[in-house]
Amino acid sequence: MNPDVWLSALVKELARHGVGPDLAAHVVAEAAAHLRDSGEPAVHAFGMPERYAAAVAESIGRQAVRPSQGGVVRLEARGITKRYRRRQILSNVDLTVRAGQIAAVVGANGSGKSTLLRICAGLVSPDRGTVRVGGSLGYCPQAGGTSEFLVPEEHFVLAGAGRGLSRARAKADGRARAAVLDWDPDRRQQARFLSGGTRQKLNLVMAQIGEPDLLLLDEPYQGFDRGAYVDFWHELWRWRDEGKAIVVVTHLLNQLDRVDIVLELT
Amino acid sequence: MTKIAVVAEMAVREIVRRRMVLAMLLLLPLAFYLSRRSDHTGQSIRFLCLGLGWALSTAALFAGGSARGIEPRLRLSGYPLMHLIIGRLCALWTVGLALSLPYWLLIRFDQDGVRHGAIALIMALTVAVSVPFGLALSAVLPRELEGTLLLLTIFGLQMLMDPAEEATRALPFWFSREIGTYAVDHTDSGYLERGLIHGLAAAILLTALVATFSAIRLRHRAHVNLC
Amino acid sequence: MDLERRAQWLRGVLDLCVLGILCRGESYGYQLSQALQRAGLGRVQGGTLYPVLLRLERSGLVTAHWRQGGSGPARKYYRISEAGRRTLAVTAADWHDFTGGVTAALTEV
Repeated sequence: MNPDVWLSALVKELARHGVGPDLAAHVVAEAAAHLRDSGEPAVHAFGMPERYAAAVAESIGRQAVRPSQGGVVRLEARGITKRYRRRQILSNVDLTVRAGQIAAVVGANGSGKSTLLRICAGLVSPDRGTVRVGGSLGYCPQAGGTSEFLVPEEHFVLAGAGRGLSRARAKADGRARAAVLDWDPDRRQQARFLSGGTRQKLNLVMAQIGEPDLLLLDEPYQGFDRGAYVDFWHELWRWRDEGKAIVVVTHLLNQLDRVDIVLELT
Repeated sequence: MTKIAVVAEMAVREIVRRRMVLAMLLLLPLAFYLSRRSDHTGQSIRFLCLGLGWALSTAALFAGGSARGIEPRLRLSGYPLMHLIIGRLCALWTVGLALSLPYWLLIRFDQDGVRHGAIALIMALTVAVSVPFGLALSAVLPRELEGTLLLLTIFGLQMLMDPAEEATRALPFWFSREIGTYAVDHTDSGYLERGLIHGLAAAILLTALVATFSAIRLRHRAHVNLC
Repeated sequence: MDLERRAQWLRGVLDLCVLGILCRGESYGYQLSQALQRAGLGRVQGGTLYPVLLRLERSGLVTAHWRQGGSGPARKYYRISEAGRRTLAVTAADWHDFTGGVTAALTEV
């Protein structure tokens, strides 16, 4: 890749990752200087522009500029214990999330992340422990959760009616949120014909309709391509800035720098 | 009210989109009817009604199955439990009644000498019973294949067992034959009464079962305090 | 040397090594990567090095300013700060303890 092409791609990617224009200019200038000094090909020295921009964005995030104290408590889970067939899945787990905070629940497969989320959502009963939820609740499962024979807009209406939204409002809300994830829902395509990633976008949009105060997301980005994944996280940060509380189950660690709470389950 | 209406509307849309199920709903009772048409009158009507019940139970089974995934989150979205149950029941009952009408008309014009009012009653009760029957099965047997096999067994028994035997009263559609006898053979009203009571009891019992299963599955869990 | 493992080790200590080199005097990106190579750490690519420098700058362990080079374009020069020196001293001591333990565990080999 020609260095100038690489550098201009870098400019775009830095903007996409939310790096401020001043810093971005410095980063690009420094990279240009390095390429001149070393004479190395850009991709060899820095990798693809997208990856380097991501690495830069991560380094910035690490500066905890906003160790968000958060507002009112939206989720308070205490002493959550769950056994399933002789295996202790969750052992005395606590989690408190306030408005304006993002909590990431991480851990290996089978460590009980999904179970914890379902317990917090009130879909599963723990053996011990209590959960207090302040405000309205939205939940996005890892898979499933949609109705195979209905089209996206019908899902939006269903989700919206529960929160008291009119049909028109619900549809508009749904379409707007889909657009954020770079998805233009086909009016006539039933959910069973959607690709895995698109169906998950539907799932995620459904959880968001009506702007619940607390969002519980169980690795909702399954099947997302890289661009959608980045857009998803940007949406979460925007959500946080608007004062919502979010709990995300994830096993991908590279965004941990930009969350407020990390709960690791073993 | 709107919430019930939305749930019901979406349930109807779902059924309508399932072409196979729809085809079965429309054609199974007809196929049964035609297969027995040359027989003694009562047989064709009886088989039509049973076919109606079978098709509708299957549709309800499938509807219940596909609702499983989405109902928990609808609860979270703010739907009261009863609205979800009532909405789905009403949708399926409406579809069932809409379906029965052309069949009732068919019998009306194709068969003479039968008590058409009683036939209408059979169909109404069949609809009333098969919908919660299918939904209850979907709650107990999460996989549709197993539910379909069980339905096959029950309807098979229904068709093969001698209705005079005591044991057949346990079958949910026993009333169909009983009232059928009243309608076709012009017997005394004892048949009508017994059938009516059986049908109503079956409908009420099965509806209560559906409500109970749903209430258990979608219950508000004790460990959560919403404020 | 197993490249995968080496990369893992490097990820853990690169920021310290950079601080260590900056102790001897200010430097800019490419010069630093050359110094790291001379020290025996192999080729450290720009894609790895600059984010580390960015992080060090953000945490206040190094300061940076742009300077017009004697020959050629402006470059960003890094200098270790007081906080950086303190951190380096402490962490270097930790590192010696750590490697002592590792060496002891591997003496059997």
